[in-house]
Amino acid sequence: MTVGLQHYLVLSAVLFSIGFYGAISKRNAVVILMSLEIMLNAVNITLVALSRYVTPVAMTGQVFAIFVMTVAAAEAALGLAIIIAIYRSRETVDVEKIDLMKW
Amino acid sequence: MASQLVWLIFLLPFLSFAVISLVVRPFLNGSARLSGYIAIAAIGGSLALSLLVLQEVIRAPGHELLIPRVTWVVIGTTELDLGLLVDSLTAVMLVVVSGVSLLVQIYSQGYMHGDAGYSRYFAFMSLFTGSMLGLVMADNLLQLFVFWEGVGLCSYLLIGFWFHRPSAANAAKKAFIVTRAGDFGLLVAILALYASSQAGTLNIKELHLLAETGALGGTFLTWAAIGIFAGAAGKSAQFPLHTWLPDAMEGPTPVSSLIHAATMVAAGVFLVARMFPLFEHSSQALATVAVIGAFTAIFAATMGLVAPDIKRVIAYSTISQLGYMMLGLGMGSVAAGIFHLFNHAFFKCLLFLGAGSVNHATGTFDMRQMGGLRRRMPWTFFTFVIASLSLAGIWPLSGFWSKDEILAVAFQGNFILFLLALATVFMTAFYSFRVIFLTFAGSYRGGASAGAGHGSQGDGHGAPSLHESPAVMVVPMVALSVMAIISGWFNLGGEFSGFLGEKAHPLGFFGALANPLALLSLGVAVAGIVAAYGVYGARWVSAEGLGRAFAPLYNVFIHKYWLDELYETVFVRWFLYTFIFGLMELFDTYIVDGLVNGAASLALGGGRALRRLQTGQLQAYGMAIFLGVLALGLIMVLIR
Repeated sequence: MTVGLQHYLVLSAVLFSIGFYGAISKRNAVVILMSLEIMLNAVNITLVALSRYVTPVAMTGQVFAIFVMTVAAAEAALGLAIIIAIYRSRETVDVEKIDLMKW
Repeated sequence: MASQLVWLIFLLPFLSFAVISLVVRPFLNGSARLSGYIAIAAIGGSLALSLLVLQEVIRAPGHELLIPRVTWVVIGTTELDLGLLVDSLTAVMLVVVSGVSLLVQIYSQGYMHGDAGYSRYFAFMSLFTGSMLGLVMADNLLQLFVFWEGVGLCSYLLIGFWFHRPSAANAAKKAFIVTRAGDFGLLVAILALYASSQAGTLNIKELHLLAETGALGGTFLTWAAIGIFAGAAGKSAQFPLHTWLPDAMEGPTPVSSLIHAATMVAAGVFLVARMFPLFEHSSQALATVAVIGAFTAIFAATMGLVAPDIKRVIAYSTISQLGYMMLGLGMGSVAAGIFHLFNHAFFKCLLFLGAGSVNHATGTFDMRQMGGLRRRMPWTFFTFVIASLSLAGIWPLSGFWSKDEILAVAFQGNFILFLLALATVFMTAFYSFRVIFLTFAGSYRGGASAGAGHGSQGDGHGAPSLHESPAVMVVPMVALSVMAIISGWFNLGGEFSGFLGEKAHPLGFFGALANPLALLSLGVAVAGIVAAYGVYGARWVSAEGLGRAFAPLYNVFIHKYWLDELYETVFVRWFLYTFIFGLMELFDTYIVDGLVNGAASLALGGGRALRRLQTGQLQAYGMAIFLGVLALGLIMVLIR
């Protein structure tokens, strides 16, 4: 069996769905952050796979994936910082209890 | 004569208005007398040009000058033109208006001397005269209406000239609003004529032609004519829109003189005469004019019998005489109506200038405080008697000739209206000489000093000293008295009627004394004078005794038939305050406020409902975003 474009895309879709499920359903803010990382990486796989199979000469997809990783790192750092700040003031990281931004 | 010069006739006074109000008043108010000279120069120019035009019109074939039209506005395919219609009627009016206005303005130099509003007065007088001159020359109804409203505006400004006096401000407002009631009819008639398939034009000559060929006829013509007459009745103070004219006495006396002789009230009679072919082809419209005219004539005369204020007596006399003119027109004779307008202009103007001169000396208009002025003011007395004789219709003064013509056409037309007119002749003679006996005969009863608190105010001439008025006032009065004697002689051989395109039945200078109808009216007039002498001169019966003997009638007359109170109650209180303003209040409370409050509560309620969506649950938002993206994706797929 040769691994083709479809396999990468299916893998990416599966990873994205798992990540999305985690982001929507988990209550722990840290787990949600992890799920977001999974979703980002699923997108990265798609970018690299498409770049490799569709436009093999121009390396746009790969370059873009590097950017995503950079942003994801920054985002993770920021997210964790926020979560720690919230934990310090409210002693919880349960997103259902962090609901002050409403009417 | 160049057509530009014809345009100048009404543009000169407008120019004078502009110069006085834009240059003299703001920058040269130290030399206010200048404005008087400018106004007089302008109107003098208009008079000279009017006389030239009259001469040309007499010579011209068909008595009409053709003046090139000028395009005014183009809206889509509708083109509005400005044009001048200069025929015999216009030429006569031009001479009357500019002539009388010139004399009044010369007189005003003396009368208004030292008034704080001297420049303003002459600016308005110029505008007033200019509007009237423009009105008589207009060749289409729209243009006529513009000047018509200009005349109304100026009457408002001049009646309320001493606006710091509440009574003057109210009188100005009343004049404006009451005439507006009539103008509404005129405006509706103009719009209807323009919109209808029968007419579709506002050009006066085309309308004449349509009426004469019968293309314009039937009920529509009748209503259009009655609408036009409503406007005329408002301006010419015909019953039931006459109530503004007696109150208009609050203005300076020369203004009253101009309003009553040449400008404001003449406009209504002129309008009916101008649109006469429309009236001629609708017997109902003509009958309306005649009946209202005859009724107004006798109705106003009854109130003139008892009024204590000299200017108000003359004002009622004007209303009554305007009724005569309308009667003449309604009986189918333009020449009779306009001839009376022509003669009336001179003697009525003279009467007012006389009343102003009396006020100049005594400081009051209340005849109960006058008396014995004959020796102190010989010129005023002399000219006033001439004007009164003319007004009463005594042979051979001007009033006799035109009044007799109206009586003659009324006699042929309708006997009841003729009797009303004949009764009015008696009353006219009576009240004219009542004024003379009360004012000039007997002994002096104190003037303004005696009348303090009697409500009849003077024209701000301060402490009175009995003396004849200065020459600048007396000379115009003498000039007018000459006209009041001779102006009736223009129709001795039927020349005036012929000029206006009618066949006349001339009586001749002495022939009139052999005509039974003329003798009858002369006899009635003399009887009126004798009766006035009996009551107020020789005092065979006391006036107070008569008043008590006919107390019910006296009360009705002195209270002006309670019409002012009736209008005040019905139109002002009930209709305006309660009905219209009440409706407006409801509209304001429920519709306007309702809309504003409704918009506010819609926003508030919407906000209350929608804010429930903001749960603060992070993951709910995430889900919503996901579903939204999904929906967008689906839509994209489906649309493709």
